[in-house]
Amino acid sequence: MAGIPTDHYEPKTQAERWIHRRLPIVELIVDFVTLPTPRNLNWMWIWGIVLTFCLVLQIVTGIVLAMHYTPHVDLAFRSVEHIMRDVNGGHMLRYLHANGASLFFFAVYLHIFRNLYYGSYKPPREITYIIGMLIYVAMMATAFMGYVLPWGQMSFWGATVITGLFGAIPGIGAPIQEWLLGGPAVDNATLNRFFSLHYLLPFVIAALVIVHFWAFHTTGNNNPTGIEVRRTSREEADRDTLPFWPYFVIKDLVALALILVLFFAVVGFMPNYLGHPDNYIEANPLVTPAHIVPEWYFLPFYAILRAFTADVWVVMAVDWLSFGIIDAKFFGVLAMFGAIIVMALVPWLDTSRVRSGRYRPQFKWWFWLLAINFVVLTWVGAQPAEGIYPYIALAGSAYWFAYFLIIMPLLGVIERPEPMPATIEEDFNAHYGLAKHPAE
Amino acid sequence: MSLRNVTLTAVAALSFGMAAHAQTRTITVPMNEPGTAAPAPTAPGTTVTRNPDGTTTIDSTAGPAAADTVATAETPAPASSLAEAATAAETGTAATGVDPVTPQPTGTPGEPPAAPQEGLPAAATGGATDGAADAAATPSADAAPVDTAAPAEAAAATDGATEGMADAAATPAADVAPSADVAPVDAAAPTEVGAPAPDAEAAPVEEPTQSLAPASGEGEPATADAAPADAAAADAAAAEGAAPPAEANASPAADAGVDPAAAPAVEAGPAAESAPEAQVVPDAEPEPGEDTAQTDTASEGGGPAQPEAHTETPGVTHEQHIEDVAFSFEGPFGRFDQFQLQRGLQVYTEVCAGCHGMKQVALRTLADEGGPQLPEDQVRAYAAQMSITDAETGEDRPRVPTDHFPTVTGEGMGPDLSLMAKARAGFHGPYGTGLSQLFNGIGGPEYIVSLLNGYTGEEKEEAGTTLYANTAFPGGWISMPPPLADDQVTFEDGSPADLHSAAMDVSAFLMWAAEPKMMDRKQAGLVSVLFLIVLWALLYLTNKRLWWRVKHRPDVPGDGM
Repeated sequence: MAGIPTDHYEPKTQAERWIHRRLPIVELIVDFVTLPTPRNLNWMWIWGIVLTFCLVLQIVTGIVLAMHYTPHVDLAFRSVEHIMRDVNGGHMLRYLHANGASLFFFAVYLHIFRNLYYGSYKPPREITYIIGMLIYVAMMATAFMGYVLPWGQMSFWGATVITGLFGAIPGIGAPIQEWLLGGPAVDNATLNRFFSLHYLLPFVIAALVIVHFWAFHTTGNNNPTGIEVRRTSREEADRDTLPFWPYFVIKDLVALALILVLFFAVVGFMPNYLGHPDNYIEANPLVTPAHIVPEWYFLPFYAILRAFTADVWVVMAVDWLSFGIIDAKFFGVLAMFGAIIVMALVPWLDTSRVRSGRYRPQFKWWFWLLAINFVVLTWVGAQPAEGIYPYIALAGSAYWFAYFLIIMPLLGVIERPEPMPATIEEDFNAHYGLAKHPAE
Repeated sequence: MSLRNVTLTAVAALSFGMAAHAQTRTITVPMNEPGTAAPAPTAPGTTVTRNPDGTTTIDSTAGPAAADTVATAETPAPASSLAEAATAAETGTAATGVDPVTPQPTGTPGEPPAAPQEGLPAAATGGATDGAADAAATPSADAAPVDTAAPAEAAAATDGATEGMADAAATPAADVAPSADVAPVDAAAPTEVGAPAPDAEAAPVEEPTQSLAPASGEGEPATADAAPADAAAADAAAAEGAAPPAEANASPAADAGVDPAAAPAVEAGPAAESAPEAQVVPDAEPEPGEDTAQTDTASEGGGPAQPEAHTETPGVTHEQHIEDVAFSFEGPFGRFDQFQLQRGLQVYTEVCAGCHGMKQVALRTLADEGGPQLPEDQVRAYAAQMSITDAETGEDRPRVPTDHFPTVTGEGMGPDLSLMAKARAGFHGPYGTGLSQLFNGIGGPEYIVSLLNGYTGEEKEEAGTTLYANTAFPGGWISMPPPLADDQVTFEDGSPADLHSAAMDVSAFLMWAAEPKMMDRKQAGLVSVLFLIVLWALLYLTNKRLWWRVKHRPDVPGDGM
């Protein structure tokens, strides 16, 4: 698939030829796993396999859980307890599924930030990146709806708050919200459709993942130098790359095993660490929890949502300019979705011709500030909106937008990149102290 | 623009640490009283034996400790011989053991343990034959000391239960509620409350939040007739209480939520008068009524009638004081203490069950390994003390092990306790990360211990509801009167029953009730972690070998290993 010169599958036996003539599936698999991969990939390139594992884990555990779960407001909470108490291994399945979502997002955030640092989103990988963003959005939708299913207090009120965001859209908001909920409020119809979609979306994600693979198998992997693999000759390509199997499969599995050690420690020893105690209280429309907090992986964007209150001058200005159509609430919603949209637009906002942040002296600082900012937003999203927290959230939100809309476009013009190695081979050999041109 | 943001963000990052620190809640150092953490009877190798006179003897291999923990010093002789009998049964020389013990169930006068059986309540004699008797009568290998130990304690629990609840079930007319015997309210509350409202009519109105009403509601038979009335009351409460609680609870003050919710419940009319009894008595679970309540309010677990009492607004107005308790089940290797769970079951049965249901927990799980692990017959006897309205016949019948603990709803009743240990946050340290959960446990049991110990004795009245100052409750004021007091419960194994110990026991039991598969889970986690570490090591070595040539002999590019 990739344009990198390499061996391609040739059917050798009679049987292989028979199959290949009719369905070239063996070729597809063999060429997939022998993809020439830049040999200098570092340990930040392992998140793809972790994410693939997560998707499989979630689908497998989810299918079994769905066999025992009942999507009805009177029975959902009880059926989850039934899973926890009566189903063989049900408690492990449920905790694996719940914490699997957290691992999924933990991995996806590192995957995205690796991509932002090494400029993987730049040409020719924009489509890979956009597909990835679509997967991320689908993941968020899936996780949000999955969190509603246990029908605890946080499930119910989280659903109420998040669907309420759509109600903030002027004019058409209320009908949209009602359409999403299947009624005037979160109720049985909501639970049923969320269950249905929660089951559907993972397969949409799986399909998008295949397209994601397809796209980067066409362009080839990016690598820490951001330099393309030489395609001029087979020999040069071989010096820049190694086949995915076995080199990167084994390397990825090393990382996966280590991550799973931590994952199973969490599942086994503190499975409710990332959950909220209130979700062990059955949903009650008459009692509002003191703090409605989304799952941790939504917190950065939740912080952005809450940051733009009516007393912020930007909000006031927009309100005035839009003749009151865009009020503070709607502004917050726009900011939250906008935060994801500006991130998705980064291939066209970044003007630098250098891919990797490794050779961009100023970019590095801004990038790490963004990473810290992301952590701070996650933290502040969990705090009550009082005292100093709204100010922190506002500063963090402002920087998020500034990074993508101001810093990225300007930096490419201002910045003087550092010298780069000529080839991947050179970078790799320099790293391991090898001769520049090995004896042949 | 960007410069300003950078400055702000830097400030944000700096303030991270400080703010996080400020958020941390006060945690006191573990303050177990000596001996409570690991009472003698729970030590491995201990044999607990049930005496015919209703007392319990603990025979520990530790020797002298046994003497200390013998519950009844005045009956040492039968105790020791019984213990011997049990041991004999275990070793197979049953013949020696049969003699002294078999008399018990059969009534044949035996030598030492021929003591009268009046200590054994009727219900207990039915299914819950004495543990020691079992062991001796059936000289099979099954009658190991562990088995013997379990029923012994179980009997203790059952005993207590019988006093409290079986009576109620058997004689639905008279001293109805467990609280009548248990007297957490009668004994503890009155002194502090002042006027505990001992008359039936006044009770629901003045004290809509605690079991005083049921306790005083003598003479109201808890028949099936009471159930619909109760359901009606709940519905009425739902209808009336629907709007106010929603608003009230949204308000930041924790205690503000109490009044409006409670008030409509009281206004719910004359039906409410008969309701309390019906709810407290275990047999009065109104199945149809419950269903109605569900559909009406789209919520079970009490619905609108009770959110008032335990709606929490964590950390809004009040710095919670949650003490850390060293439970046996904390940390990656933590295990439930079977005897502690049995004691906790006793506390729940005698004290909590008056106002709190536990509908998610199936009675049969009391026999599960890793839980209180009562023998099957004990579980049957325990279940039979409570009745249930059969879903098919519509008639009352005794509960069987496949039934669940009762659902308790309605005015003045507390929230369901099935998941309470997981539904309350304990501590959040260090620095608000909550990572201490790995070693200190989830924190819910600590919250419960702190709550039960957190009463300061202060109280105030707001809109007809008495509120009690509590250092652990969010907001500082709780509508539940102090439910537990020193030595209110008597453990038959002689374990200390002071307030703190009993609170620990019941908290441990509630942790088990909320997470019965905890030990399975931790074991699965441990096996997985160990397996994955080995797998990781092997993969690491494979990877090192695989890449060695690439990293050291680049003249062999892209070889096909």
